[in-house]
Amino acid sequence: MNPRLARLLMRLYPRAWRERYGEEFEALLLAGRGGLRTSANVVRSALSEHAFPTQGAEMHPVTFVAITRQPSAFLPMAMSLIALALVLGNVGSDLIQNGHILREADEGTTAHLWQLLMVGQLPVLAFFAIKWLPRAPGQTLKVLALQAGAVLANLAVVFFSGVG
Amino acid sequence: MRSTQNVVKAEKQPETGHFSDPPLFVLASLANGPKHGHAMIEDIAHLCGTRLGPGTLYGAITRLEQQGWIEPLPPEERRRPYRITPKGLRALRSKLTTLLQFSKAGLRRLEA
Repeated sequence: MNPRLARLLMRLYPRAWRERYGEEFEALLLAGRGGLRTSANVVRSALSEHAFPTQGAEMHPVTFVAITRQPSAFLPMAMSLIALALVLGNVGSDLIQNGHILREADEGTTAHLWQLLMVGQLPVLAFFAIKWLPRAPGQTLKVLALQAGAVLANLAVVFFSGVG
Repeated sequence: MRSTQNVVKAEKQPETGHFSDPPLFVLASLANGPKHGHAMIEDIAHLCGTRLGPGTLYGAITRLEQQGWIEPLPPEERRRPYRITPKGLRALRSKLTTLLQFSKAGLRRLEA
C-alpha cells in the first residue's frame, strides 16, 4: 500500500489506539496490497473503534502526561487558572491603585467572569470523570485532585482577599 | 421461495457462506506459535479460505488482548508478533469443542 495512504488510514483511529497499535498497524498496511476493499475495511474498523472504543488499562496504557493532554482534562484546569489570574489581577490592581482591596457593592465584570469560569468547568469535569475513571482510575484521580486543588486555590483567594 | 434460492445458490457456489469469527481465527492461527499481523492474515486464509482485512484483524487482536487471550511479544522492527496465552488456549479449546458438537449435530440432522 502507498505509504501516504497507509499513514492517512492509520490516523483515522483514535489517538489512544494509535499510540498502542499505530506503528505495527501501519507496517501491516504497508505490507499489504491495499485497494478499495482494504481501505473500506480500515475505515469501517476505525469508525467502530471510535464508536465502541476498546477499554482497559492494558489496551490503552494511559500515562499521566497522556491523560492531561485530553481537552476535558486541561480545559477545567485552564479555566481555573484563568479565574485565579482574574482574581489575583483584580486584587493586585486594587492594591496598587488604592493601597487596599476594594469591596464592590455590586458584582462587577470580573466577578461574573470568575463565576462563569468556575461553573462552566463543572460539566467538562463531569465528562472527564465519566469517560476516564473506568479506563484509568489512578491517573484520572490524580488529574481530578489537581483540578480540585485549582478550584480550592480560587476559593481560598476569594475568601481571604474578601473580594467575593 | 427465498430459502430455495439460497439453497440453489449455495449448491452452485459452495465457497459462499463462509463462517466468520475473526477472534476465533486469530486464536486458531496463534495456536501453533506466535505470529505478526501479516503472517496471521496469510495463515487464516490458508486455514479456512477467509482473508481478513487489516481493520478486522486488528479489531480482533485488540479485543483478544483485552480479554487476556493473546499477548504481544517484543516488536521485530515495526511488526509486533502475538502469542496465545494459557487462558486463550482454554478459550480456543472450549470454542472449538462447541463448534464440533454443533457441526456433528447439524450433520446428523442432514443425514436423518
